[in-house]
Amino acid sequence: MKPTISILFLSLIVFALACSREDAEENLNIDNPEIQLAIPLDFPSLNEAVHRNPPTLYGVELGKKLFHEKKLSGNNTISCASCHQQANAFADSHPQAIGIYGRVGLRNTPPLQNLAFIKHYNWDGNKRELEKQPLVPIITHEEMNSSILEAIGKISKDQAYQILFRQAFGDSEITPDRIYKSIAQYEYTLLSINSKYDKIKRNEGLQFSVIEARGYQLFKSKCASCHSGELFTDQSFRNIGFPLNPSTEEAGRGRVTGIPADYMSFRVPSLRNIAYTAPYGSFGQFKTLQAVLDYMAEDVLEADNLDPILKANGNRIPMTAQEKSDIIAFLHTLSDESFITPQ
Amino acid sequence: MKNLTNILFASALAVALTSCEKSEPAANNVTLHFNNTFKDKTIVLGDANSTQATINTSANGQTHQFSELKYVISNIRLVKTDGQEVPYNINDLDKGATVIDHSKAATLDYVLSNIPTGDYKQLKFGLGIKQEINTLDEVRFPKFYATASANDTKMMWEWGTGYRFTKIEGFYGSDKKPLSIHTGSTLDGKREDPSTYIPGVNAYRDITLSLSETAVVGKGSPMITIKADFDKLLSGKTNTITLTSGRGPNDNATPNIHTADQMVKFVDNLGGNSKNDNSGMFSVVSVKN
Repeated sequence: MKPTISILFLSLIVFALACSREDAEENLNIDNPEIQLAIPLDFPSLNEAVHRNPPTLYGVELGKKLFHEKKLSGNNTISCASCHQQANAFADSHPQAIGIYGRVGLRNTPPLQNLAFIKHYNWDGNKRELEKQPLVPIITHEEMNSSILEAIGKISKDQAYQILFRQAFGDSEITPDRIYKSIAQYEYTLLSINSKYDKIKRNEGLQFSVIEARGYQLFKSKCASCHSGELFTDQSFRNIGFPLNPSTEEAGRGRVTGIPADYMSFRVPSLRNIAYTAPYGSFGQFKTLQAVLDYMAEDVLEADNLDPILKANGNRIPMTAQEKSDIIAFLHTLSDESFITPQ
Repeated sequence: MKNLTNILFASALAVALTSCEKSEPAANNVTLHFNNTFKDKTIVLGDANSTQATINTSANGQTHQFSELKYVISNIRLVKTDGQEVPYNINDLDKGATVIDHSKAATLDYVLSNIPTGDYKQLKFGLGIKQEINTLDEVRFPKFYATASANDTKMMWEWGTGYRFTKIEGFYGSDKKPLSIHTGSTLDGKREDPSTYIPGVNAYRDITLSLSETAVVGKGSPMITIKADFDKLLSGKTNTITLTSGRGPNDNATPNIHTADQMVKFVDNLGGNSKNDNSGMFSVVSVKN
């Protein structure tokens, strides 16, 4: 019985291919311009993958629709946007991601911002190219619990998709690669560059308050060795002695590389929009920024591979109560209200 | 016209697939029969309280037993007595790869069809899947994808978007603590292109086995019996392993094994260390022509 079904399905695919070719012949002159990504001042260079998959007008429109498409999940209840919510800088407010049937994932949902400039994705950097990521949630048991062919089967019935795929890629054929590419293209356009910090840097007439200015100076001396540059991350992996995820599946970067020195190391997260992305830590260990700083000022967990900067400071980053509130005031200047507001 | 071609193609494909499903004995078939053992005893699976399950003792004196045992075989090649290597659908997981599942007797025999007539002296295969095709590509290999993703199989490693190569569940020690040993590659991208490169672990192992006697293809249908001795899991040629439970970087019995660091020790024992051991736990025990 099973082989019969797969044969039928294969034939269907072949039919679909045949139809799409005809469409392509009829629609050769769709104007689908590339979208130029403005590279903000002092940002790092684009991830090479962006050059291989430059965002286009319709590619992004398609990617946005797919990003919000619940049919990508097994029971049509979960989309990318279910966890990556714009109001939270495309993260969410749960300690760990919650997917299909309320299943709880291993880690905290990361925000999606300025991804075109990021070189390692996810908490453990197991992806270097954004195009390789969308399949993961689609097939993961705790996320969407589906398969790419199941998802294609569902969306291919929707005429709006047939039109968008044709506009974006020249014909209406729906392939896994086109789905991955268009979602990545949409994500590449999620730029957050209009925080108070940015406006001050661009001399747009704003100024730090006294507290924020003090916080900025403290930030530079106490935080910026890891949270460096305009993305506020040096894109390295570090073990900073945060409380450990009780799941035995977690090993941080070590589960990818197999190097003992990477055990429980995580990608240094960007601090842009950090005020919108509570809770914090790889599995949401900390409810507030205050809780993070309180912890780091006390005594982080000892480990052989604890970050050398922390080791050199007695496993802590000394901060007074005043210093902590100054730093938090500065961190709020990294909030970009326009980024979390739907256009 | 194009439509017609496609329909014809689909029908041809359908017929081809249907004929593949029938495994009538043919003169140019070779059957690979896998016997999963602890030393010389074929393993009996069972839960912690089973009185039937085979209990093995490691070199370091740890008792252990399995409740689940699966692994992927792919990239199969047969070598003729004159040295000519005959690849068997090595780039097609649907036609050239299989999940050996100890709980399903039918999976212990993998039938290779249309093998060129001749005398064969050696068998090569991969434990796991080589990196180039270790992607969860449901469109390219729908049959293998369906097998691996089935609820009673779960040989997919979603976060790495590759397949699991080995999945062992079971118990160890007198208090029957759970053991859960999964292997798979975490490597991705190309080393020469740093923007794509994930410096992960390659858990694929290429196995080379000499046949105990020449397999004659063409006259009959040889059956090659391969022993996979899971005693080697803990007591291998490369590593002697003691299982420990816990959350530290060296605890290896339960999914902390997903720290690729600990995983490699098991992989080297099962599939060889790809330096001076290219057979791991595997050996050919008989060839029946």
